[in-house]
Amino acid sequence: MRENGPQESFSALEVRSRQLFQESVDGLDMRLRSRLTQARNAALDAAEAASRRPWFLRARVWTPAAGLSAAILLAAALWFGMPMGNHSMTAADQPGLEDLDIVASSDEASGDAMEMLQNDLDFYDFADKAASSGPQA
Amino acid sequence: MPRFDTLPLAWMVWDLPAPARRGAVLDQTRELDKFLAEIERRAFRMAQVALRDPDDAMDVVQDAMLKLARNYSAKPSAEWRPLFYRIMENGIRDLQRRRTVRKKFMVWLPGIKEDPEGEAQDPLDSVAAGGLDVPETLMQDQAMQKLEGLLRELPARQREAFMLRNFEGLDVGETAKAMGCSEGSVKTHYSRAVHSLRDRLGEVW
Repeated sequence: MRENGPQESFSALEVRSRQLFQESVDGLDMRLRSRLTQARNAALDAAEAASRRPWFLRARVWTPAAGLSAAILLAAALWFGMPMGNHSMTAADQPGLEDLDIVASSDEASGDAMEMLQNDLDFYDFADKAASSGPQA
Repeated sequence: MPRFDTLPLAWMVWDLPAPARRGAVLDQTRELDKFLAEIERRAFRMAQVALRDPDDAMDVVQDAMLKLARNYSAKPSAEWRPLFYRIMENGIRDLQRRRTVRKKFMVWLPGIKEDPEGEAQDPLDSVAAGGLDVPETLMQDQAMQKLEGLLRELPARQREAFMLRNFEGLDVGETAKAMGCSEGSVKTHYSRAVHSLRDRLGEVW
């Protein structure tokens, strides 16, 4: 039996294994066959549902479109150097003392608040002068 | 040019499939049913050879059927077979990866041990319901179990190539599509698988 060439023994192995496999397929019990039929029916339902869906609602249409839009937005943001934080704020944009009127006027008791701020400013001015003139006594 | 007074009416009319299109969908569904019915048992057994557990094999086959039906049913039917097996092999690989991770995790948990041979099987389950005599059936079962064991020991790519070429009867080109590699690689994997099986089974067969 073993004097067959290698090609023939390959074929014998292939034929025998295929035959065994097919017999094991034919011997599947009814429970498994029934489950396979159920799985097939579920797949067919899914196929019908997919074919009924209009083309513009299919994920395959929207996924690339969404990706493309996101890429275009990102590219535009990078290209135009959109300021994302305060680091690009210029000196002119910084709030100054003159803006205090606006801040104070937005409050209900704006008159009182403005007066208090003015008192504070007078005090800071006095303290600054006192410090720069040095100890007198 | 039809005019519609309300948007829902326009939507319904526009969305209604034309009779020709509906007929094409029915034909396609019938063809898909025939295709799946033809391959489902072999696919299940191939998945079972790779995974051992019948429930896992059933899950993988069901998942492959659903994915094929949802995403590729509009493709020409000649492409279904390699596509189906590609989806199925990916599913098998994912499951095996998850098992490996789970096994590594289980080692660190005291008291929980997995049965390395899977669940204990009822011997009556393995007896096929056919017209063969019991001793012959048992001998064939033993031979198939031996073959399955050896196939599981093969590297995954060799096992895939052997099963797709020999059990499913795909040609080299279709096998290459199903495995996502070149035809030359398929030939190499298949040849190595046959050599390896022959070395181990040669004395018995």
